[in-house]
Amino acid sequence: MTVEVATLAAAALTLLVLLLVLGSVAKIATAGTDAEPGGLSRLGPAMLVPERWRKPVLIFCATVETTLACGLVLTRSPLPRWGTIAFFALATYVLWELRRRRPDVGCGCFGEASGSPVGLRAIGRAVVLTAMAVTVTLVPVTGADVLSGLSWDLAIALAAGVALLSVLSTELEEAIARVRYRAPCEQRPVPAARTLSRLRSSSEWRSHAALLVSGEPEDTWRELCWRFFVYPGRTAAGAKAEVVFAVYLSGRRPPVRVAVVGAEGTGGTLHESTGLSATR
Amino acid sequence: MGVERRYALASAALGRSGVPPQAEVEERPALSGVTGEILDISPHLVILENSEGVEERLVIAPWATAWHGRPVVPAELPVGARVVIRARQSGRVAERLWGDVTRITGVILSLGTERRDLTVELDCGPHRGTRTVVIPYGASGRLRVRHPQLEPGFLFDAIGTRVEGTTFARLPATSQPAYRATAVPPPPPAYGGIQSRISGAAAWSDAFDDGEAGAAYPMLERADSGCEDAGVSCTGLPYLALGSMLYVGNVCESRALVLPIVACGCMAGRFCDRCVECGTSPRGRIVELSPVSFVELGGDLAKGCFNARVGLG
Repeated sequence: MTVEVATLAAAALTLLVLLLVLGSVAKIATAGTDAEPGGLSRLGPAMLVPERWRKPVLIFCATVETTLACGLVLTRSPLPRWGTIAFFALATYVLWELRRRRPDVGCGCFGEASGSPVGLRAIGRAVVLTAMAVTVTLVPVTGADVLSGLSWDLAIALAAGVALLSVLSTELEEAIARVRYRAPCEQRPVPAARTLSRLRSSSEWRSHAALLVSGEPEDTWRELCWRFFVYPGRTAAGAKAEVVFAVYLSGRRPPVRVAVVGAEGTGGTLHESTGLSATR
Repeated sequence: MGVERRYALASAALGRSGVPPQAEVEERPALSGVTGEILDISPHLVILENSEGVEERLVIAPWATAWHGRPVVPAELPVGARVVIRARQSGRVAERLWGDVTRITGVILSLGTERRDLTVELDCGPHRGTRTVVIPYGASGRLRVRHPQLEPGFLFDAIGTRVEGTTFARLPATSQPAYRATAVPPPPPAYGGIQSRISGAAAWSDAFDDGEAGAAYPMLERADSGCEDAGVSCTGLPYLALGSMLYVGNVCESRALVLPIVACGCMAGRFCDRCVECGTSPRGRIVELSPVSFVELGGDLAKGCFNARVGLG
């Protein structure tokens, strides 16, 4: 019987640490990006404090989670264990209160990913985590015990815990929806630097590199799913010209098109390559 | 290098025609927008000096109306006022005149009072900078009913007059969004494909040069446009660039133009309102037009928006 309880406690410890670390990282990421205007204003307990305190509260919360996770893994001391009980019990109360006062905001447990309104599932998850914290306080196991006690029983207990938490997590549905309804590439922000490195690895770049006078583009802009780079260059005959590359923004080896345009004033396309794809 | 060459260069690279497309041929008689400073005005004739210093004479149509903070008779417009005129017959016959009209769109920074009037300091984006606006006591009721949150951080959008360097707000241009300027709701998820024409509201702005035709578009890449506030919109808009040619159609008037994007519509992207001038537009302000382009598309500057469709030209 004692063996089973120890196994359960080991599984609970693993899950608690995993969730604390995930939550902490996600919160730091959310606070760090300072997301699009108002990102924080839709997230959880931050709503209950004045606007200028929201970011510090998020960071404080993440720090507490990291400290608790470290304490649980490394020490047998009761302090982080009681701390974890207090943390999740408090979280349960805060979520309940949040649901009553601001039914429109998400719990923010995993930063931006937890944007859907707090429901009974989020509160249920906090209760389950509180129960797990009680288990690891009664049976004080550490990270070392988990590693030494690897067994099929532990794997089954872990799988059951993961399944229970997945059922209670709305974030997973959100993640699946985001993958399914990915914004079309016209609406997705794509960093110019990544596109430039894709251009540099294309065959069009290699075949036109000799025409370029400078390695830095004169101008770059984005229109729908294409990004354009204009380089100063010269034609095969030696006249001044501009080399325009158009790079498609989707895919690892995107289509690249290129044109050499005569210098301003003279106008006209001197040479235009057909739309070759960079795929080989 | 100017952004004007971007269209030609992009066309060369993608093998498109290098001539900017024209909007579909319209059956209705064309409107033209004329701007200038009034040199002389009588009930039947207005003489103005445009931004190039050229004198223009327009006949005032018998049915013409004018606006100068309120509806007036055209001959009541003061000499020296800057006017925007909607004209027919290739710009010879004036049928609607707006005197000293200005639009104040921005984020409220601070509020003050000056005797019975209210003064509002606004951040109008990187192009217009900070502006101070006076809300006369007589207009404050009308403005406050559509702007219930006159507090720092909230958006403000009004139409008014600029007389001797002072800007007076006269009419609300929209109902104030309920959220703060930093909390624009995200666009609805896009289900796979993208439409070639997007519907929404078109507004006008005076962040353009005098008499310039063009549009300001919210969805530009920040690095390309040099505008830190670009790329925010509550409608799923595709990314375009300064210099792209934008098709703008007025749904109510069935008129359309292809206009270059000349500025970033940082403020327009923050408004998630609807235009209710004729029918109700889908949510979201998708484009800001220069006063001349707005008038040529049949919009009324004193109303401030029309139901529009935009797309890449």
